[in-house]
Amino acid sequence: MTATAGHELLDYARSAIEHAYERGWTDGLPVVPVTAPMVEEFLAHTPRPRDEVIASLPHLKRRCTVEQAAVNAALAGCRPEYLPVVLAAWDALRRDRVSTAAWQSTSGPAPLLIVNGPIRHELGINCTGGVFGPGFRANATIARAVGLIVRNVLGVRPHELEQATQGIPGRFSLCIGENEEESPWESLASELGLPEGTDAVTALLLRTCEFVDNRHTRDAEEVLWDIADTISRTGAAIGRHSSAGLVLSVEHAQQLAAAGFGKADVQRWLYEHCVRSHADLERAGKGLRGLEGPGIDEHGLHMLPSPEQLLVTVAGARNAAISMVVRPFGFAGWSRVAQPIQRAGSE
Amino acid sequence: MFDAMIDPTANPAEAVRATPPAPRPDRLRGLTVGLLANTKANAEDLLERVGELLATREGIAGVVRRKKLSITDPVPADVLADLARQCDVVVVGVGDCGSCSASAIADGLALEAEGIPAVVICTEAFSAAADAMAELQGSPGYEYVRIPHPLALLDAEGVRARAEQVLPAIVGGVTTASSATAAA
Repeated sequence: MTATAGHELLDYARSAIEHAYERGWTDGLPVVPVTAPMVEEFLAHTPRPRDEVIASLPHLKRRCTVEQAAVNAALAGCRPEYLPVVLAAWDALRRDRVSTAAWQSTSGPAPLLIVNGPIRHELGINCTGGVFGPGFRANATIARAVGLIVRNVLGVRPHELEQATQGIPGRFSLCIGENEEESPWESLASELGLPEGTDAVTALLLRTCEFVDNRHTRDAEEVLWDIADTISRTGAAIGRHSSAGLVLSVEHAQQLAAAGFGKADVQRWLYEHCVRSHADLERAGKGLRGLEGPGIDEHGLHMLPSPEQLLVTVAGARNAAISMVVRPFGFAGWSRVAQPIQRAGSE
Repeated sequence: MFDAMIDPTANPAEAVRATPPAPRPDRLRGLTVGLLANTKANAEDLLERVGELLATREGIAGVVRRKKLSITDPVPADVLADLARQCDVVVVGVGDCGSCSASAIADGLALEAEGIPAVVICTEAFSAAADAMAELQGSPGYEYVRIPHPLALLDAEGVRARAEQVLPAIVGGVTTASSATAAA
């Protein structure tokens, strides 16, 4: 190819990207122009029929088929073999009762997708250092595909049906692998009832993520107290039940395990200790004293609806004791479902 | 030039037709008014005050109160049928969040489709969502009543004042006449 011909082809590629912007198909970043043969390449990686509905918003008369998901996964920059993960992500999101309200909400929540199983390594889904990104195509584009489906297929666009007050940083970029290899505990998918080693996606809609940096103590319970302080902040206390989850670093997880804590023990400890006092809630204008309701007692407000509603997963590098508290959206509770990933030829 | 590029957007799964507005009565005297509230803060109180004002100023026969528990989903079919059977007109509100503003517009249109004149109250902060839903439902430009935002933090007196303020528009929205109050 001559240099001139090369320039012309690249100029054409650039104008195709501009065309996508003009048509309103992008989330603000450049997209990959999608052709019919590309869509077929993607569909070849799933055993699911192209007209199967994988997402719907009945109140908007919108639904998304496998084929439309494939188009938007290609648009997002996914490789064809990522499509089964995108589809499983929607399977998981559909199980969350709050998901139909999420996309239009003032809260502007982000889906956190957690991938388990050998597929993490096959597709290059990062589960160690810098797990929340950037730098890893699978993590970035699988999460982005979910957002492009919301925009293009479900028709929920900012300043129209999407009414996020601020939205959350990283919305549609949160896809992580669980660091199963360095976690001291059973995998998340296994905790949620799938056989160990199953390729699966778990989803949770988040309001935000907040770090807990505790490289200060060798006492596991002191680490839990530090995490409890973040979980119990009044800003996140809305309604009778807020909730929380934990993306633990390897060091914190191993420290807790070495002190004899299983995942269920961590959940139970935090459920019991994450209580905000009536006086503190009143000082923030959120007083609940004297009211009846789940989670309210004479001490104050329990920040977690139940021990098992606290997501516990392990991700990141084993290089510092820094963990993330995540904040679920809505009050209906997390589905606690891990959806198996169906791949072509794997049935 | 870009015909080979696949359009990633989708049209609504069902064809939508415009909902023609239900025929309006010329006044509210002697009629039964439905109050369809959602769970947003002060929504029920605002509708209650509106109902009281309609009784004293417009001479309505009475109100039928219903509450919608999901802020996203359309009004349940049994509640819709119930309102259509018992009421002459319905006031819907309050659209005061991303999902519920759009949903309130859909409920207003659902009532119109049943032949019941409806008027939807939304806070002005969510007019973009309300307009988008009207368009999605095939009825772009569907009229609704806008009130200042926010509503949630108003005390009882503030809610009463908001009801006073919005009353002429509500009466105008479900009748062919202007409000008796406004005309006075």
